[in-house]
Amino acid sequence: MLQMKEVSKVFRTATVETRALRALSLEVDEGQFVAITGPSGSGKTTFLNIAGLLEEFSSGTYMLDGVNVANLDDRARSRLRNEKIGFVFQGFNLIPDLNLFDNVDVPLRYRGMTSGDRRKRIEAALDRVGLAKRMRHFPAELSGGQQQRVAIARAIAGDPKLLLADEPTGNLDSEMAREVMNLLEELNSQGTVLVIVTHDPAIASRAPRNVHIVDGVAADVERKPAAGATTTAS
Amino acid sequence: MHLHPILSTLRRHRTASALIVLEIAVTCAIVSNTVFLVQERLSRMNNSSGVVEDELIVVQLTGIGEKPDAAAATEVDLSALRSIPGVRHVATSNMVPFGNSSWNTSISTIPDDPNTVNSAMYFGSQDLLEVMGLQVTAGRDFAPEEYVTLDDVQSKKAQAPAVIITRGLANRLFPDKPPIGQPLYVLGKNPQTVVGVIEHLARPNEGTGRENAAYAIVLPLLAPYTVTGNYVLRADAKQASQVLTSVDTTLNRIDRGRVIMGRKPFAEIRREYFSQDRSLALLLTGVSIALLVVTAMGIVGLASFWVQQRTRQIGIRRALGASRGDILRYFLLENFILATIGIVLGMALSYGINLWLMKAYQVARLPGTVLPIGAALLWLVGQLAVLGPALRATKISPAIATRAT
Repeated sequence: MLQMKEVSKVFRTATVETRALRALSLEVDEGQFVAITGPSGSGKTTFLNIAGLLEEFSSGTYMLDGVNVANLDDRARSRLRNEKIGFVFQGFNLIPDLNLFDNVDVPLRYRGMTSGDRRKRIEAALDRVGLAKRMRHFPAELSGGQQQRVAIARAIAGDPKLLLADEPTGNLDSEMAREVMNLLEELNSQGTVLVIVTHDPAIASRAPRNVHIVDGVAADVERKPAAGATTTAS
Repeated sequence: MHLHPILSTLRRHRTASALIVLEIAVTCAIVSNTVFLVQERLSRMNNSSGVVEDELIVVQLTGIGEKPDAAAATEVDLSALRSIPGVRHVATSNMVPFGNSSWNTSISTIPDDPNTVNSAMYFGSQDLLEVMGLQVTAGRDFAPEEYVTLDDVQSKKAQAPAVIITRGLANRLFPDKPPIGQPLYVLGKNPQTVVGVIEHLARPNEGTGRENAAYAIVLPLLAPYTVTGNYVLRADAKQASQVLTSVDTTLNRIDRGRVIMGRKPFAEIRREYFSQDRSLALLLTGVSIALLVVTAMGIVGLASFWVQQRTRQIGIRRALGASRGDILRYFLLENFILATIGIVLGMALSYGINLWLMKAYQVARLPGTVLPIGAALLWLVGQLAVLGPALRATKISPAIATRAT
């Protein structure tokens, strides 16, 4: 599903050159649930940005679901991001001016689907996270946990193959965090690849596979591969 | 189309949206009306005089004291002016189109008709029609024996037997019959017979109203320069400047005891006559441009503010699959919606302003063609104004979505 080979990312200013990723290699196969851990400034977010096609990398190769993303233009990258990846952010990142229905609708609109198709998917996604009855509410009217469930609904409405979650429970209390993690694990059990970036050992421990990033280099720290799946990291 | 989410967002930012809509509406209303007024002025400036403007030179002069031999002196002047190289024809004329000073008269088709028509009354020496380049399109020019002096007419020793009228006047007076041969009461109880029709001869001014603008007659009345005040020269256009410089010398050589008040090509008369229209058109155009610039600045300001305010939101949209083109289209469409609402309101306001102008200043009704011009201008200004901030928005990285809030 996700293959990175010797991916490097260098941030340059006039006076400073910072290497955020150093020849990072990582493969994540279909159906896996991987927790990415590492100290602050280790390159976790840069990895997530590159994996999610939010940022370009300096060197190396990255294949996403068989597509070499290196030479894609903005339109093709946006299309690939829209179709293959669902994001769950720490800060939920819902659009405050739109109600829940319209928030979940955002990625679907960019896919150019008919309004009927979109409606079915939005209702199904909100139903799955238990918020179908509140689809006309605005984000500010919901609790943090509910907002994160809406963000998950938005991420899965387009039926992506890869779910990238950046500290998805970081802003939630433990009860809500458990709820959200249960939901994400349920999605993974149904076949969606789940990659979670987290500081939280409790969250990481729920993942069959942990990858630790330090100084821009990734390494597997624990191996609990799913049946039939192979994983490598360096 | 992202119409629904844009409308939803705008509803949540009612005050800012309403202010920009209001600004666009007011600009649309004012610009539509000023475009119309400018159009009207430009159209007025293009009004036809009916005469051969490129070839005409008008000399205005007045005698000092009594001139008992004015009629003979006039003949001498005409002969001398005719001899200036480049001059083809010369005539006296009591007035010229757009010359401002006008002889007007009330005319009717039956005696003592209380419903008269106000018309400009031209007269001059026998070459007048030829000098002005006026073509008789129906009937004929005056015969030499039809000319009488103004003195004899005023002292009732003679009466003008004939009259030539413009097509506009003919249509007004004789809508159902040919005008040639019809009697016309111009100078009292004895009618003049219409002997010819000319297509058009503009009046010296519109003092009696625009509805009378096409009404003019020419009478076969002879009068000396002391009465008519004008010599009209028809000269070869290429030699007009030499003719102009020779006029004073020629006339002063004959009689220095009079004042040449001016000699100018007809183009200058037209320019002077329409100078206020030109100034007003320029002023209104300036006001319109200034308003459009202010509106554009308002749009730029609001769009820049919204781009800044929605930086994270734009990053999120990008992360969720929006391309740079999608972001650009989002802001252009949002502006188009605001501009369209403003334009619709502005059109209603335009008609309101026009109704007031019609009542207060007798301005004509706003034609339907002006509104699409105003609307197109506002749409164009809006789209151009929002382009800069929208392009800045497209440069926002989707990676901003993963940064801490």
